[in-house]
Amino acid sequence: MKHFFSRRASGTRGIAIGVGVLLIAASASATNGAAAANGILKVATSAAVTTWDPVQSFSTEAFYMTSLYEPLIWKNEVGAATDYSPALATTWSHSKDGLTWTFNLRSGATFHDGSVVNAAAVKASLDSAKKDGGASFIWDPVKSIEVVDADTVAFHLSYSAPLDLIVSSSYGAWIVNPKALDAVAKDAKYYESGIDAGSGPYTLTSYSPGTEVVMSAYPKYWGPKPAYSIVDALITSDGVTAQQMLTSGQVDFASNIPLTSMASLKSNHKYKVNAYGSPFNYVGYFNTLRAPLNNPVVRQALSMAIPYSDIVKVGGQGYATQARGPVPAGIFPYDSATPQYKKALATAKTMLAKAGVKNLKLKITYASENGAEARFAPLIKSAFESIGVSVDIQAMLFSQQWSLAKKDPANAQDLFIVYYWPTYSDAGSDNLYSLFHSSAKPFFNLSYWKNTQYDDLIDKAATLTGTDRAASAALYSQAMKILYDQAPGISFYDTKAVYVVPKAITGFTYNINYPFSLFFAKWSPTK
Amino acid sequence: MLKFVGKRLVSALFVLFGATIITFILSRVIPSDPALAFYGPKATLDQSARLRKEMGLDQSVVIQYFKYLKDMLTGNWGYSISTKQPVLHELMTKVPSTLEMIFVSIIFATLVGILLGIWAAKNAHKFVDGSVRVFSIAAVSLPTFWLGLLFQLFFVGRLHWFPATGEFDTELKFLNPIKHVTGFPIFDALITGNFHAVENGLWHMVLPALTLSLYSLGLISRMIRANLLEVLSQDYIRVARAYGIKERIVLFTLALRNALPPVTTVVGLSAAYLLTGTFFVEDVFNWPGIGKFATTALLNVDYPAIMGITLLGAMGYLTINLIVDIVQAKLDPRVRAE
Amino acid sequence: MKTLQEFRRYLLRNKLSLVGFLLVNFILLVAVFAPWIAPSPKEGRGVENIDHIGFGPGWHHWMGTDILGRDVLSRVIYGARPALLIAICVVLVAATVGTILGLIAGYMGGWIDEVIMRVCDLFLSFPPLLLALVAVSLLGPGLTHAALALVISWWPWYARLVRGEAQSLKSRAFVEVASAMGVSTFTIVRRHIFRNVTTPLIIQAAADLGTVILAAGSLAFIGLGAQPPQSDWGLMVADGRGLVFDQWWVATFPGLAIFITVLGFNLLGDGMRDFLDPRSQK
Repeated sequence: MKHFFSRRASGTRGIAIGVGVLLIAASASATNGAAAANGILKVATSAAVTTWDPVQSFSTEAFYMTSLYEPLIWKNEVGAATDYSPALATTWSHSKDGLTWTFNLRSGATFHDGSVVNAAAVKASLDSAKKDGGASFIWDPVKSIEVVDADTVAFHLSYSAPLDLIVSSSYGAWIVNPKALDAVAKDAKYYESGIDAGSGPYTLTSYSPGTEVVMSAYPKYWGPKPAYSIVDALITSDGVTAQQMLTSGQVDFASNIPLTSMASLKSNHKYKVNAYGSPFNYVGYFNTLRAPLNNPVVRQALSMAIPYSDIVKVGGQGYATQARGPVPAGIFPYDSATPQYKKALATAKTMLAKAGVKNLKLKITYASENGAEARFAPLIKSAFESIGVSVDIQAMLFSQQWSLAKKDPANAQDLFIVYYWPTYSDAGSDNLYSLFHSSAKPFFNLSYWKNTQYDDLIDKAATLTGTDRAASAALYSQAMKILYDQAPGISFYDTKAVYVVPKAITGFTYNINYPFSLFFAKWSPTK
Repeated sequence: MLKFVGKRLVSALFVLFGATIITFILSRVIPSDPALAFYGPKATLDQSARLRKEMGLDQSVVIQYFKYLKDMLTGNWGYSISTKQPVLHELMTKVPSTLEMIFVSIIFATLVGILLGIWAAKNAHKFVDGSVRVFSIAAVSLPTFWLGLLFQLFFVGRLHWFPATGEFDTELKFLNPIKHVTGFPIFDALITGNFHAVENGLWHMVLPALTLSLYSLGLISRMIRANLLEVLSQDYIRVARAYGIKERIVLFTLALRNALPPVTTVVGLSAAYLLTGTFFVEDVFNWPGIGKFATTALLNVDYPAIMGITLLGAMGYLTINLIVDIVQAKLDPRVRAE
Repeated sequence: MKTLQEFRRYLLRNKLSLVGFLLVNFILLVAVFAPWIAPSPKEGRGVENIDHIGFGPGWHHWMGTDILGRDVLSRVIYGARPALLIAICVVLVAATVGTILGLIAGYMGGWIDEVIMRVCDLFLSFPPLLLALVAVSLLGPGLTHAALALVISWWPWYARLVRGEAQSLKSRAFVEVASAMGVSTFTIVRRHIFRNVTTPLIIQAAADLGTVILAAGSLAFIGLGAQPPQSDWGLMVADGRGLVFDQWWVATFPGLAIFITVLGFNLLGDGMRDFLDPRSQK
């Protein structure tokens, strides 16, 4: 999982009532109204674009991709009447053994150049995603894709897998105009100037790198016409600036307002502060190869020293809950019965003494670009120091701390704090596998932990996910129990996705399955 | 005069050549793997090896340096890791906004600095003089980034006089878009008669330019005061006064004319200081110029961008020094003779 | 060299220099006695106090509390330590390196002089602070790296200053006489040249102390200097930046501390120059 946040993207903001902010907001109401009347939606966002290639895309540009492109089906948010909504496919089914999946395509859907979305385009797009996609690994179970007829496509799997989840992934599952696939094969810089090749409700009209993305409504879109004909996204990595832009009326909406500002914005009558379950959580890896951290008792003791509720309060600013293992609440296979550690300093101290640990010195690293980690990491330091463990704590760019951990476990940090989320909505095949399943070469298994019992459970559960969800979940639950007992890592907290929604906008939705995206086509000015 | 300019130009080019050695050394001591930085966490060993070869990292240092020099000269400054755009292109699109802010700041600092200096010299060793002295020392002691925050707190948060951040209102590009002529936004708006944009741009400019100019203002007012006092104590001024020439004429024409030339040095020095001063001001005021780009690049160790900024900074600095030298030579023939 | 007595008399006559002198001594005392002055030494060292988050200035917290509930006054008091430490270390190291190289260049002359001065030119061909910013970005953020980066960009100024003085002293009669009498080069440089460059050195160093604090604060503000949970003024201003409209005190007081400290050093530095080198007093 990549981290392309600016250092202050999730910066700091206060709790007291912002008199200043209130006053600015009041004086800016006139401009807000004017913008809505033009049909222009102005948005401040931290979402930078690393590539416009929908096949390669594996980062923050997902923010725009959901408006420009469509998958076969959308995964609905938790609590919706159905699990999925039709997008380019209207109906779908799978064989009993879960090895063949058939999708029937919508008629009348066109790409932005007017050409028809057909089965051949679907096959070409997804073959390309499987071959060179940024998230190509999600297609591992797919053996071949077959064009049955112009409107029908069939997937043949080599082993049973939840293909409905995979085709609705927010990475590597977009249906792309085959002309663009050919063009990018010839010219790697085809997308660079900022063009799209999708079938979504919006089309990309202009792009200034690092500054601005303008999208306008696609007139021949098959679905309802968006209320805002233009979406103007201003890339503003600094959350505080984004907030100032919102409250001064420079933008209608800001997607990256710091958590620390929520308290003051909550008291502003112009906005609602909405919190949604998110797939993001904070996890720490112990370096299990190094003594005394190779002793599970020491790891348990340290897990008991963590002030979880303070970390939730400071890091999550209250918009968070203590995690139950590495699977975030609301994401399969979350299990509310998974045990969690409670802060118990005295017990932790006795356990350390019993394990014969004296003068323990730990090196902790966290990502300097992550504001929440910068806030709560000092709490871990003071907690550990209160049980006699001295701590050297270091902020590094995520890429630097990651390469430090991967390069040489012997010289790596003792505790590595990471902000994690699953690529698509299956934390079994991602979080549980990637973070703690053993691997020959460390990639995301940065505890360097190896437990055959755990590995077997995870491997077996993965093959059952497509056909027998309940059985798979049960196996994953057992695996999470092992994680609790062996404590190769610390599960800090699950964050909420918190959005400040202006009352002037109707139709705001958040979908946990597309955590970096917003669905502008569904928004409209409040009447 | 032409010979003098030529000589200075050649020596500036030599120093610039030297500066490329420093940026080259810096670009080769990067601890992190370029492939990881470029391709992200999914970089494969194969990609890493290919990239190293593409970047010429498998060749000798001397060959690498000459390749680097050739790239710099042909405008190939590499690609920014965070924006994936050519560095030179990124810099060129951001330079105009920064230069406009520096220009406004330096004009403001020079004019107000001269006035303050005169005022202090006229009231030498009185209360006014003391106040100007305290002000000038305080101005060079202020942390720019903190001053910017205070201005935001007071002029934006409390008084609502100015916009908090940005170069123009967001609406502007839809309602009164600026036509691209030279790339300098306010200047372009001015020559295309888009006065609404000019007004809006200047409005946004007030706080950042004021923040940026204070340091120079302190330096300049102090220098003017000192020079004026020295000139005023000279014989020809006493003679002029003895002849009953009006004090205003003595001060503004006779004295000031001779007190100004050394000020060019201070104005140049201030301009050089402003080059890095913009980093902090643009960061605080979200100004879409080089400074904002630089702080982001520095934090993310986006080293192709950092190398570009360093080289551009050296160019700007040397240009300022060159201009100061030439102006001084023009004002003072003795300099030319050296 | 002039005596302390003369300096005292000078200070009493020059109010601004006196203010600077008092301010600098005040900050020094605060830094040394921080654990005894700070209302909460624990919070001053960076330990959180979750139940006190977001308190405004009041009786219990004169400067309010910050994002982790720490007493801002205590942190401002503790922040004097890294600020003074970095200023003294950077100026000391830069001046030492610069003086040694400057003396060698100025006294030896010839190609050695040429090489040293050309290297200086290279370092001085970048705008002030730019090289330090780049160096610390590549070294990785942190207080020690910030100090190192500042030394890298500062020493050439001293080298150039000392070299100029040394060169002009070299041709003076007393040096030539000593040389003719067979006094060793080292002794000449130490006794006759170094001693005579101390005055301009002290003037320069005094003026630089404030500038270094300002520079270190700037590095910390953009995230390249001291790292949390350290109590560092620049870092604290950065912490409070996002809160500026809601909790103005978090950024305001640490910034004020930088301002007052730098002002003190600049006033004192100014006074030192006037005192040691009256020619410059215009």
